[in-house]
Amino acid sequence: MNQTFDFRRWWMLVTLHWVENRKRYGLGLLAIAGLLIAWFSFLLTVDKFSALDLGYQFSAYFVGLYFIGCLLSGTIFSELGDKRQGIGYLSLPASHLEKLLCALLFSIVFFFIAFTLVFYLVDIPFVHAANNLVGERYRTSADMSSVPYTTPVYNILTASGAPMLEQDGHLLLTSYFAFQSVYMLGSVYFTRSAFIKTTVAVLLFMLIYVSFVSEGVGRQLPPGWFIKDLFQWQRGSSLVGQGQWVKLPLVIECALKILVSYGIPVLFWVIAFFRLREKEV
Amino acid sequence: MVTIRDLHFAYRRKPVFSGLSLDLAAGHIYGLLGRNGTGKSTLLRSIAGFLFPQKGAIGVLGHEPGKRRPAFLQEVFLVPEDIYLPAVPVDQWVRYHAPFYPKFNREQFLRIALDFDIRVSGRLDEMSYGQQKKALISFALATNTAVLLLDEPTNGLDIVSKSQFRRVIAGALDENKCIVISTHQVKDLENLIDRVTVIDEGRILFDQTMDAISRKLYFKISYDPGETASAFYSEGSLKGNALVMANPGDEDSRPDLEMLYKAVVLHAEKVNRAFAE
Repeated sequence: MNQTFDFRRWWMLVTLHWVENRKRYGLGLLAIAGLLIAWFSFLLTVDKFSALDLGYQFSAYFVGLYFIGCLLSGTIFSELGDKRQGIGYLSLPASHLEKLLCALLFSIVFFFIAFTLVFYLVDIPFVHAANNLVGERYRTSADMSSVPYTTPVYNILTASGAPMLEQDGHLLLTSYFAFQSVYMLGSVYFTRSAFIKTTVAVLLFMLIYVSFVSEGVGRQLPPGWFIKDLFQWQRGSSLVGQGQWVKLPLVIECALKILVSYGIPVLFWVIAFFRLREKEV
Repeated sequence: MVTIRDLHFAYRRKPVFSGLSLDLAAGHIYGLLGRNGTGKSTLLRSIAGFLFPQKGAIGVLGHEPGKRRPAFLQEVFLVPEDIYLPAVPVDQWVRYHAPFYPKFNREQFLRIALDFDIRVSGRLDEMSYGQQKKALISFALATNTAVLLLDEPTNGLDIVSKSQFRRVIAGALDENKCIVISTHQVKDLENLIDRVTVIDEGRILFDQTMDAISRKLYFKISYDPGETASAFYSEGSLKGNALVMANPGDEDSRPDLEMLYKAVVLHAEKVNRAFAE
């Protein structure tokens, strides 16, 4: 039998993980549905004419996905933080790769699918209810001069109505997987309070990065120039024909986007694999 | 079966082992004795691959434990001192864990569980700590791994369970298995182990078979002050002085593990000299 990866053994591990955690996952999904219902109900009561517009749906989806997804990934190897559970987990006759792939399957693939399903199970009826409510209010309103605004259901595939960051290549959605991979590494790396420690580490990194860009790179630019975004520097007005731009070549821009979207998750999964291999309990 | 050579290990700045060497063979039940914090659990966890030697080498059935390859994990089972079991029924837990161990025998598990009075249909989280431990020991024995490591297995067991434990372990040994039991409750291992290894401050203080102990040492109760003075270790009791002495006349006596342990811890050099002669 292959000592690095054997599908039968991996499937046994997946089945075992499901049997031991299905109750926790089921309750977690119910809690997510409950939170979404509570939030959308609150929105329906406070915003009478544009309840559940695309912005609300978009932010509910991504805040939930980022927070709960990172929380799950940050605790997926929580057994390793406890000696009693850690011994049970590491002594199970499966390879480190199989254990990592099992964790990836549940925290990345299954969670993403389950969260998206739960979101739409709550979102679709609520959007319809909101549209009906808005229509009803319009019909009973004294002001008939405006046309009632009906909201479509937010589509994560087209990202229509989302900020440009998401519309332009799903950068927010793919960055989620990068964040999740960082939290997964944190759950292997830190023995206790992995989620909090990883959050602190991520915030520290972002602070250093922002300081580097503004204080380091920003100060190197000639007078009058400033950083427009990650790939552009600008001088003067942003109106067409009135300012000057320096853009990174498209190849580099694309390469950087691909690295953030696909390279970082893979890189952190690989580091998590090596960290799992050298984990002691 | 298990070979440890020049093992060095430390927790941060606290050294545990500095040059420990030990061989464990199949067909034996080893009693690993020592005070709390002397490195017994660390040694078992190192053999099982959960701690890595900082220097030296450990070999188990030709495997390097630290790599934790599935073929190695299928042959080594560690029952830790503090156990954790998921909140599922016993039979479900067994059904999903057993396939990972190719030599698992379900009938054997049910037989041992019956010996231990474990209700297989019950839930693990509704059992007492002692029952959980017995369930885990039953499972560990039924996996039929070549190396079985038991760290303080009798902690949490009541008096009846301790004798059940001795009976079950004695019945589980065969010529292909090596069982290592670490404990500081030496009385629990009486009539069970066939080799005694005493660890103190990270080194092997004493390592002899029970046969050799019976031949080289003499355990007796005596009022004779001369015998008491010449004993390796003596302890006053209502019946007289309990003594551990050299046995030059090859007299028969029943080894008292607790007395032996105290003699070794306090006068290791003298006791070991008796075996060298």
